[in-house]
Amino acid sequence: MSDASPADRMTCILCPVGCELEVRRSGRGLDVQGHQCEKGIGFATEEVLYPKRNLATSVPVQGSETRLVSVRLSDRVPREMIFPVLREIARLRPAAPVRRGQVLIADVLGTGVDVIATRTVE
Amino acid sequence: MDGIETRDVVVIGGGPAGLAAALGAKRAGAEDVLLIEREKRLGGILNQCIHDGFGLFLYGESITGPEYAERLAEEAVREGIRMETGAMVLDLAPDRLLRVNARSGYRLIQASTVVLAMGCRERTREMIEIPGTRPAGIFTAGSAQNLVNLQNVRVGNEAVILGSGDIGLIMARRLTFEGIAVKGVFEIMPWTNGLERNVRQCLIDFGIPLELSTTVVEVKGRDRVESVVVAAVDGDLKPVRGSEREVRCDTLLLSVGLIPENELSKRAGVELSALTGGALVDETLMTSVPGIFSCGNVLHIHDVADFASHEGFEAGAFAARFARDELPAAGKVRVTPGVNIRYCLPQSLRPGTAGAELNFRVTRPLRGCRVTATGRSSGKVYFRKKYGRLLPSELQKIRIRPAVDEDIEVACHE
Amino acid sequence: MSNYDVIVIGGGVIGCAVLRELSRYRLRLLLVEKEADLAEGISKANSGVIHGGFNVPPGSLKARTNVAGLRKIYGLASELHVPHRKTGKLVIALTDGERPRLEELKKQGDRSGTPGLEIVGAPEIRKIEPLARGRWALYSPHTGIISPYEFTIALAECALRNGARVLLEARVVSVEFRSGLFYLATPVGTFAAPRVVNSAGLFADEVARLAGVENYRIFPYRGEYLITDKDPGFRLGLPLYPVPPIDDPGLGIHITPTMEGNVLLGPSAEHVEAKTDTASTRTVMGQLKDEAGRLMPELRDAPFIHSYSGVRPKLVGPGGREKFRDFVIEESSVRPGWINLMGIESPGLTSAPAIAEMTAGIIGQGVDLKPKADFDAGLPASPRFAALGDGERAARVESNSDWGEMVCRCEHVTRAEVAAALRNPFGTRTMDAVKRRTRCGMGRCQGGFCTPRIVEILQEEGMPLDRITKRGGGSRLFYGRIKG
Repeated sequence: MSDASPADRMTCILCPVGCELEVRRSGRGLDVQGHQCEKGIGFATEEVLYPKRNLATSVPVQGSETRLVSVRLSDRVPREMIFPVLREIARLRPAAPVRRGQVLIADVLGTGVDVIATRTVE
Repeated sequence: MDGIETRDVVVIGGGPAGLAAALGAKRAGAEDVLLIEREKRLGGILNQCIHDGFGLFLYGESITGPEYAERLAEEAVREGIRMETGAMVLDLAPDRLLRVNARSGYRLIQASTVVLAMGCRERTREMIEIPGTRPAGIFTAGSAQNLVNLQNVRVGNEAVILGSGDIGLIMARRLTFEGIAVKGVFEIMPWTNGLERNVRQCLIDFGIPLELSTTVVEVKGRDRVESVVVAAVDGDLKPVRGSEREVRCDTLLLSVGLIPENELSKRAGVELSALTGGALVDETLMTSVPGIFSCGNVLHIHDVADFASHEGFEAGAFAARFARDELPAAGKVRVTPGVNIRYCLPQSLRPGTAGAELNFRVTRPLRGCRVTATGRSSGKVYFRKKYGRLLPSELQKIRIRPAVDEDIEVACHE
Repeated sequence: MSNYDVIVIGGGVIGCAVLRELSRYRLRLLLVEKEADLAEGISKANSGVIHGGFNVPPGSLKARTNVAGLRKIYGLASELHVPHRKTGKLVIALTDGERPRLEELKKQGDRSGTPGLEIVGAPEIRKIEPLARGRWALYSPHTGIISPYEFTIALAECALRNGARVLLEARVVSVEFRSGLFYLATPVGTFAAPRVVNSAGLFADEVARLAGVENYRIFPYRGEYLITDKDPGFRLGLPLYPVPPIDDPGLGIHITPTMEGNVLLGPSAEHVEAKTDTASTRTVMGQLKDEAGRLMPELRDAPFIHSYSGVRPKLVGPGGREKFRDFVIEESSVRPGWINLMGIESPGLTSAPAIAEMTAGIIGQGVDLKPKADFDAGLPASPRFAALGDGERAARVESNSDWGEMVCRCEHVTRAEVAAALRNPFGTRTMDAVKRRTRCGMGRCQGGFCTPRIVEILQEEGMPLDRITKRGGGSRLFYGRIKG
């Protein structure tokens, strides 16, 4: 049985060098090539096995359909949480005024991550 | 109409470059700085860029466009810079006379210096001549982004996106987040124009197909888009007969290029570069018209807002110095793009300038290459650096340490 | 069931010209138009040229109405404050061999009464228009340019001010004749009149069939156009035409300036199957640039910002033996009272005032036309903000701050103008209706900037989001809100 599996390619974004990494599943683990420091292995491993993402969307201010508050997460969440988190956010109708950085949902769906407003709405 | 108002520095545009230019001018000692922004809010295009990735250089963290804009605007307010929103400059003359319209009144302003920071506009369907009908449902990606992010409007149900630049990729994800199906992203070049990270996080994450060397060759639908016809293209970017297939959709988003918005610059007699679409500038970011400076997307299309701001800070500072007669006129040596270089900027330097910072973009993805800056008469090598990989979508910066007193050419050899 | 004295079917330039002409008299008038605005057919998609009249056979209705219309149209356009200019025109012969063709055209024109025609040589050509190159040219000093859709809308507005009524989205679906009246059924009501003017353009044959009058067949011929930026890098002063090829159903590909400074290339001429086929094609767009580039090399690299197509209502098809069919301007012999204005292709725009008078004449044979003492022949001027001087601009903004809010950045259109367009007397509120009345969306960004702003304004003026359309019908822009 061949142990050559298709490589996942990605550029590490942890520092300006931008190593081009190749990640293959081998045996029980991952084989990472192309890194110039240890951090690259962690980066690639996480991206392949436990990818995390931030997300941004917007919600209407209470009482309006057109005045929007843009929001993002205070940190990344597991990729599979993207749509569940978006659904939680979709129910928000924060009352104005809203301050930039204001926490609109703390610890959303138990992820330990907050949903924060990214603009000020008077 | 009353008499004409005068200002030392007028900045046209309140986006990442303009706000920075106003700050740069103020911090360089200009007292009388006025920033004019046509939207009701400051921030320019940043207001609709609700995704993160901004501020890594300027603020040391990854924040969203609106946050970046608010922070920069707050700095400007703190430093007492006079700013007008909802005011649009309709005309700019070579002698720096501006015609400004706003709800509060129409007036003329005589500026000692002007910093152009008007940003850019999007290439349209008509400019790339996509044949077919003209139904509702065709939007440029930025226009759709405005409608979705600032007006809570559902622009369609099933979309096709033409162009794999970051705006197209970001909108692919945005639409997907909001339950609008994205049938595919089509890119005419054999490589994608956007950040690889965006391809991963906007397309691969959601199983949205990306087809390179493919373009839209026809739009169908009488009242509303009903489908588009896509086809593969050959080495000359011409559609390959027989490769056409129809993709059903009711929305077509176009992310096919940004064009610096230099209408005002042209009226002022500013000479433009055919390579960048923006002004020809020297190392002080001054254009061919004395006292008129340029920065940000109106000078050349940026991919990182922080760099547009960096340019803005510089342009503002030089504008302040010009207003105090501290920038003597000088001759110039030219900086021209050589092999594999699409453009370099600034396009000229004062002779004897040392430590000049140059920006450039390559024409195509290159691996294992060497960038040089060489004197055109002497052959002297002013700069040399090896790169593992260079992409057209990434603006590069280099610093030419030795004093340059002849025309130089920047080239990239594999 | 409403009774009118005359009902006009079709809100293009012909129907609107007829309506205005009839509104001189004490008649109860109605115009019904099937689309969501006036000028939605060929009246918006042509070259906007006021023709001299030498391009059509002398003695024909086309020639007679062209020359008669030419005499009236400049005065009329001024009265109605429609942008227009007497530019003159050059028909260019690139070789000596083409000169006889110019002489034929001049002879035709002289016989029809086209004023001022003369054949000029290369030095004259350069003096008249430095960008024109040719060996010989026919110079027609009275030819001009006009905005065809602004003209159409102004004609209708003038008719309205004189008591006529206009209904949009009022397609005639059936026609009955009972007791001396034609009953026209539309989605917005049934209307009756003893006289009907059928100026339904491309669909005039179908409308005639509904009425059971003479059988006509209209063959659609599409003409594609390309239009440059307002500032293409050169200034063209007047239309340039190549010598018309003898076996071409069109006029050859023209180069025509607009009032704003854009340059139009086109039209092409190809028979299409469907009357509504206004698509642009890759082949023709390429052809337009090639052929126009021969007359004017500057055009090869000009920045093009838009393409559009108009479909001509020809009475001769691709297999027809005759190449020429004249205008049909006549009362039906099958059903007196029904007047057909059929096959009004070029020079229809120029002929419109004359066709309108002829139509009034036909009606006048059976009805005693009593002129109104208070007929208001013109319209008040309403100049665009972009065309005003500094002092006037400042005054406007001070009197109404909506003049200070910019909506279209390419064409410098203010909110006041958009608001006025939305208050038009016909009640149309589509995006294209705003575009035609204000120029929003006609600039180089093709609506990229102003569309979100107009959408905001429409909603502020009470328009529900989902009712916003490009041009009525199914051309909706949006599908509700994302959230809420």
